[in-house]
Amino acid sequence: MTTVTIPGEGSLPSLIEPSGRGWWRRFSRRPPAVIGLAGVVIVVAVAVFAPLLAHYSPIVSQFGHVLEGPFSAGHILGTDQLGRDELSRLIYGSQTTLEVGVLATLLAMAVAVPIGIASGFYRGAVDMLAMRITDVVLAFPFLLIAVGLAAIFGPSLQNIILALGVAQLPGSVRIARAEAMALREQDFVQAAIVTGVKERVILFRHLFPNMLSPLLVQASVSIPAAILGSALLSFLGLGVQPPTPSWGNMLASAQTYLYNDPWIAIFPGVAIFLTTLSFNLLGDGLRDLFDPSMR
Amino acid sequence: MTAPVLEVERLRMEFRAPRSSGGQRVQAVRDVSLTIGEGEILGLVGETGSGKTTVGKCVVRLLRPTAGTVRFAGRDITSLPTRVLRPLRSQIQMVFQDPYSSLDPRMSVAQIVGEPLRAHGRSSAGEVRGLASRAVERVGLSAQVLARYPSELSGGQRQRVGLARALVLEPKLLVADEPVSALDVSVRAGILNLLADLQRTMRFSCLFITHDLGVAEFLCDRVAVMYLGEIVEVGTRDEVFGDPRHPYTRALLAAAPLADPVRQRSRERSAMPGEPPSAIAPPPGCSLHPRCPLANERCSTEAPVATQVSPGGHLASCHRVQEQINLEVSTP
Amino acid sequence: MDELLAIEELEVRLFDRAGVVLAVRDVSLSVGHGEVVALVGESGCGKSVTALALLRLLPADAVVTGTITFQGRELLGLPLKQMRRIRGSDIAMVFQEPMTSLNPSFTIGNQIVEVLKLHKGLGGQAARTRAAELLSLVRIGSPEQRLRSFPHQLSGGMRQRAMIAMALACDPKLLILDEPTTALDVTTQAQILDIVRDLQRRLGLSILLITHDLGVVADLADRVAVMYAGSKVEDADVDRLFASPRHPYTAGLLRALPRLGRRAGDAQQRLMEIPGLVPVLRAPVQACAFSPRCPRSQDDCATVTPHLEDCEPRHTVACFHPEAPGVREPAL
Repeated sequence: MTTVTIPGEGSLPSLIEPSGRGWWRRFSRRPPAVIGLAGVVIVVAVAVFAPLLAHYSPIVSQFGHVLEGPFSAGHILGTDQLGRDELSRLIYGSQTTLEVGVLATLLAMAVAVPIGIASGFYRGAVDMLAMRITDVVLAFPFLLIAVGLAAIFGPSLQNIILALGVAQLPGSVRIARAEAMALREQDFVQAAIVTGVKERVILFRHLFPNMLSPLLVQASVSIPAAILGSALLSFLGLGVQPPTPSWGNMLASAQTYLYNDPWIAIFPGVAIFLTTLSFNLLGDGLRDLFDPSMR
Repeated sequence: MTAPVLEVERLRMEFRAPRSSGGQRVQAVRDVSLTIGEGEILGLVGETGSGKTTVGKCVVRLLRPTAGTVRFAGRDITSLPTRVLRPLRSQIQMVFQDPYSSLDPRMSVAQIVGEPLRAHGRSSAGEVRGLASRAVERVGLSAQVLARYPSELSGGQRQRVGLARALVLEPKLLVADEPVSALDVSVRAGILNLLADLQRTMRFSCLFITHDLGVAEFLCDRVAVMYLGEIVEVGTRDEVFGDPRHPYTRALLAAAPLADPVRQRSRERSAMPGEPPSAIAPPPGCSLHPRCPLANERCSTEAPVATQVSPGGHLASCHRVQEQINLEVSTP
Repeated sequence: MDELLAIEELEVRLFDRAGVVLAVRDVSLSVGHGEVVALVGESGCGKSVTALALLRLLPADAVVTGTITFQGRELLGLPLKQMRRIRGSDIAMVFQEPMTSLNPSFTIGNQIVEVLKLHKGLGGQAARTRAAELLSLVRIGSPEQRLRSFPHQLSGGMRQRAMIAMALACDPKLLILDEPTTALDVTTQAQILDIVRDLQRRLGLSILLITHDLGVVADLADRVAVMYAGSKVEDADVDRLFASPRHPYTAGLLRALPRLGRRAGDAQQRLMEIPGLVPVLRAPVQACAFSPRCPRSQDDCATVTPHLEDCEPRHTVACFHPEAPGVREPAL
């Protein structure tokens, strides 16, 4: 019986290349993706190293230095209406903002993915139930959920994360379900069924690992959505409560000072914009990276 | 005489088209009966829409038949609950058509081939590794391939891995669904030879599903021809290929291209006009009658039954064949 | 030079993420008036790339050198505007997968009429009449009604016929068929081949047939060029090629096919395998690309590149140790 040689052996160059290598090369070929990655890395670094980077306390008011403009002595980005250093607030604000965005997304995924997988794989009654529940959640306006939770439990950080997480649920469930449905029809999953592999094992070892890529892409888009959502909540007074800075509540409280001292609105606004943009670009880059047709 | 490994009786499989396309019932398999003995390769031949793949899926219980029975080694597995079916599954395995979707891209070859072992109780890592090694070498790959991932392998190598996975538990029955259709010609030969060799040494029974008559003739002991969800002719390889009785079988053989220009030019080719009708609304009577050059009045109203063409198991479902046989019998 | 199409020393370099690929290396080919030339090879041999190079449909970063003369005009240097006029009117191509080459949002009548308007200047009723004529030319029944069908309403065979009708709409001199029947069932395939053969005879079409299916080649071709790893390894009249393949790769392909119609009891024990894989060449090699897989290779095969030489009248082969003439057993 002839033994088939594996490519890589033999004198002529081989055809097949492992798909794992070269992902950085592929990723780095698209400047927007790299910019997005850089932006995200910067924001995360700022959040992590906040105590080292900020010179002033973000919450201590200094009434002697209220509303000083940018480039004033000692305050590169100026101060806000309570005399607090804008830059330091911005830096510490990144912590809160990211925390809310990431935790809300993680919460949503942690709940949505098992539901979606079960829904897509088992179909039938399980699927119907999950879809109807999702529809119910979808039917409630996000704000109503947030306001309701705040009214009942008070506007704490937990409740904001909870509210934002719940708002993300339907979308994530749909994505997880769609992926599970598609994967279920793949021959290798059918092969596992025929082989007699336990269903739970199929879900864990076959479905979930092959869904990671789209889920990662979804996460990179959900996080900015959650950030924007928390900014929205701040405008209603339901967001992160002062004095803890978040870019959203910095924006919200800057409303009254827009005419004369716009910088206290501009800086957090720009921060939100750049962060959201970075995550979105990163998400696009990741999606293209994982898309087999673009290889 | 040992019980047949597989007995399929009056199998029927219906699907519901999605509501968006009309929601009609599609009878992919209408009435299929077949048996496979120990160590026998039965070819299931047909074109698209014949239902052959659906039969295969029913046999391995990827689908639950709408009606009929599937008996494996004497045991009725048609409606067995999953829990009870699981241990039996180690004995009924499948090889798939598409080498690019039949292996989990995130698992190494070692994990892929080891999975059936782990699913059926072999827990010792050493034992799994040893058996997987042997399985992989048995299909003509070197043990080095165990560390590789499917994306590093060619189509032919992936099919070999699929075969190794299917045979690692040494099943009694292998269902092969068009295992070489997606491969290049020179690679196909290797896989077909391999299958023939393995079957000879391991003596498993095989349901070999294909649309390629040449491949069926090369590999199979017996052949069943399907059209629109039914078997129209069945017999040994020599009977079906040497003495085809059903007009559809004849048309298939006439249409199959030969790698011989001289013979090709002198052949009467397109003996069957039109295309297979949709499975949603099969024609009444014999489903072939709108296209059959021999069709008469009876063919359009009455469904034919299997007629014995010769002593032994050569059967054909055709009124005209039946009439011919009756004529031969009555003529002294 | 009364050849309709003459390709001389064509070289195509393509780029993928790993670098350069020598897709076509020094290929010369000609198609005479009313002649059917088949370009045969497995996936990755460069046959489709050759056709795309001829039509100037390769990606923008492809590097193409050589000469392609069509009706006396050099195609490679032609400005794109003139090339577009030739494409679709003097040279037409039918692709493999009719479902993706037909626009699903428009009726086939619409699409054929569009071609007629663009290349023939026909409008309104005249175009529709001509479109119906074309459909009946490819034996589609009730052509006037069929004009109003959408691609998804047609079967695979009909779609392919519609593609052929579209290709014929502007009376091309050269028709390129890229794997015209690969995606079709056997009986449908036979019909399409019948139609193509008939049309070729009636209209005196010149055809460049690109395929890996030797059965189709035996059916349609007058002359055959076999490609391997981007270069042509054998070129002969179709009868000679099948009866007496000289290049070991050609012989290997023919021996790898399960042959239908052997005598009963005449057991076909094994198919000839060609071990290994088709290489993708990224740098020029001074060797025969097939030598690692060739049962007849010797030392000189790995050090010098063989060039095409006559082994018989009208039969060239690129091999230092070709097979003996007439080595393939004549068919029954």
